[in-house]
Amino acid sequence: MAQATAEGGLKPAMLGSPRPGGWDLFRSSAEQRLEGVELPGQGEEAWKYLDLRPLWELPFRPAPPSRVEACPTILPEAKASRLVFLNGRCDPHHCSVAGLPDGVAFRTLVPGEAALGTVLGEEPAFFPDLNAARFMEGAILRVPAGCRVVTPLHLLFWNQGGEGCPVVLPRLFVHLGAGAEATLVEEHAGEGAYLSAPVVEVLLEEGAVLDHERIQREGPEAFHFATLGAQVAGRAAYRSRTVSFGAWISRQEPRIRFTGEEAELTLDGLALLGGRQVADTHSRIDHAHPRCVSGQLHKCVAGDRSRAVFNGRILVHPGAQQTDARQQSRNLLLSEEARVDTKPQLEIFADDVKCAHGAAIGQLDPEELFYLQSRGFSPELARNVLTYGFASDLLGRIAVPSLRRRLRHAVLDRTEGGAQLEGL
Amino acid sequence: MLSIRHLTARIGETEVLRGIDLEIRAGEVHAIMGPNGSGKSTLGKVLVGHPAYEVTGGEVLFQGANLFELEPDARARAGLFMGFQHPIEVPGVSNTAFLRLAYNKKAEAEGRDELDPLEWEDFIREKIRLVEMDAAFLDRSLNEGFSGGEKKRNEILQMAVLEPRLAILDELDSGLDIDALRILGEAVNRLMNPDRALILITHFPRILEMIQPDFVHVLNGGRIIKQGGKELAHELEARGYDWVKDESLAGRA
Repeated sequence: MAQATAEGGLKPAMLGSPRPGGWDLFRSSAEQRLEGVELPGQGEEAWKYLDLRPLWELPFRPAPPSRVEACPTILPEAKASRLVFLNGRCDPHHCSVAGLPDGVAFRTLVPGEAALGTVLGEEPAFFPDLNAARFMEGAILRVPAGCRVVTPLHLLFWNQGGEGCPVVLPRLFVHLGAGAEATLVEEHAGEGAYLSAPVVEVLLEEGAVLDHERIQREGPEAFHFATLGAQVAGRAAYRSRTVSFGAWISRQEPRIRFTGEEAELTLDGLALLGGRQVADTHSRIDHAHPRCVSGQLHKCVAGDRSRAVFNGRILVHPGAQQTDARQQSRNLLLSEEARVDTKPQLEIFADDVKCAHGAAIGQLDPEELFYLQSRGFSPELARNVLTYGFASDLLGRIAVPSLRRRLRHAVLDRTEGGAQLEGL
Repeated sequence: MLSIRHLTARIGETEVLRGIDLEIRAGEVHAIMGPNGSGKSTLGKVLVGHPAYEVTGGEVLFQGANLFELEPDARARAGLFMGFQHPIEVPGVSNTAFLRLAYNKKAEAEGRDELDPLEWEDFIREKIRLVEMDAAFLDRSLNEGFSGGEKKRNEILQMAVLEPRLAILDELDSGLDIDALRILGEAVNRLMNPDRALILITHFPRILEMIQPDFVHVLNGGRIIKQGGKELAHELEARGYDWVKDESLAGRA
């Protein structure tokens, strides 16, 4: 019984706080689903490798409002297409959306305007349900049919830790009409100890194209439990890259479903871990219609005593003929104490498909090390360059140049001897 | 510049070099020829310190110093270079950044100033002109997705950047079309001067029309079985390797 109360700190703290206005029905059904449900434990298959015991004893509380003098990160490309949320509340001082075409909505969510939960479904799940029950303010990006937004959109969730352990529940709804196109940078960052459990829903109609760069650089003492749901209609393309640098314990749970034929998905991930960081990615891709293409490349660099988990499930449903699904999990261990658990999971119920998956865990390739050494690089420098290369490879695909540069710098900062590699 | 004496080496349990003696002086071009599996590439890789090979005997002096006392990176910084037959791909590391870092490390070792980014731009533009490389290759990841010929061009670009005292080029001609071979052959010729030396490892004599050797050594079974001037290459072109092997067997009998 002592254990039940210990595990229960987060839920009572949140459900005991006043329910924010709007979405009453949505919130109360989430509360019902949470009845009798506790923080996930390692007894559950999906949480087997993620030890949440550090959360048991923490004095959680809803995050209070917060202020910052200057906007913590600015992308020059998105100066006039930026939304900033501080501790879960939109801060108009740091927002600027003057640079958007008519008809594009990029702002705080108005109660009732989006059917929250429809993309994700209402299957009980602890963190998304907690988010539904108590999120403060949501954000929406809506692009009307046929509209191409050339300017990248930047959505920053900045979180300030403090007394107790503040809980932030960011919420985002993205809806692209038929043939619409946009590039969205969703960034989570902060300082101090706090818990953030964002929920993002993405709805792409026929032929829509979304580049979705997701950056998790929460403070080193923070917890981050993100859920992403996406529905991708016929001939639409959803290209998502998730870069996880931050947080002490973090988890990414993307669930992507094709809802039409000939749609395309990129679901890439990079986790760069050190210290005692733990990062878990549990993904699910549903190929429910014919002739869809999905590619998933997940990379982890685990140093010190860090730990990475990848569980990538791909379901090819009956009738989803000529599906092309590729998944790769590549992992680099930089120390004896680091650990990676990876489990690609391909379940195929159609007979005319092209599917490939693979997982590799290892150290640096000795042939690559020798090649660099033969050009005069010391063994140490060669190792650092190759580690940097392994991690930064994925960053080359990021659609926003300043973000690409910034993340490459962040990788350099995390690479031993990075200062020597300036300019790589 | 390079003295090889009674050099023997093995990979795993297999003896691959069985006593090589070779003297290379500044300004000279040496061709190492021989059938597949004769130990040509092995000799190059042993000299640059590839970890798969174990030196079991003999000694090598490079510019008067014991080569095997130097780690592979120190050998490179001392002016030894090998252009590989199958260069490695390194994703995520841009070609130009890699070249600049390699250049600056060597400059540092020689007590020269490093190049700042602007000086580097001028320097590398001139070098890619030498090998007639498309500048777009500078911004790509090192060798990633390069064709066989493009990789070879990139090896010669590295040679042009590092300006080694002794360059070993392994099967430079494989994967090259005739125009690329001419361009790279001319580039290598222009990189030669009386202070530098060159070892060309090649199966086919074709490249020796472009880069004229002063000496030709035929390797077989891990030994040099015949030596001569560039006329030996012509003879091999005309007659193949079998007669040399026969002659060598007869000589030893």
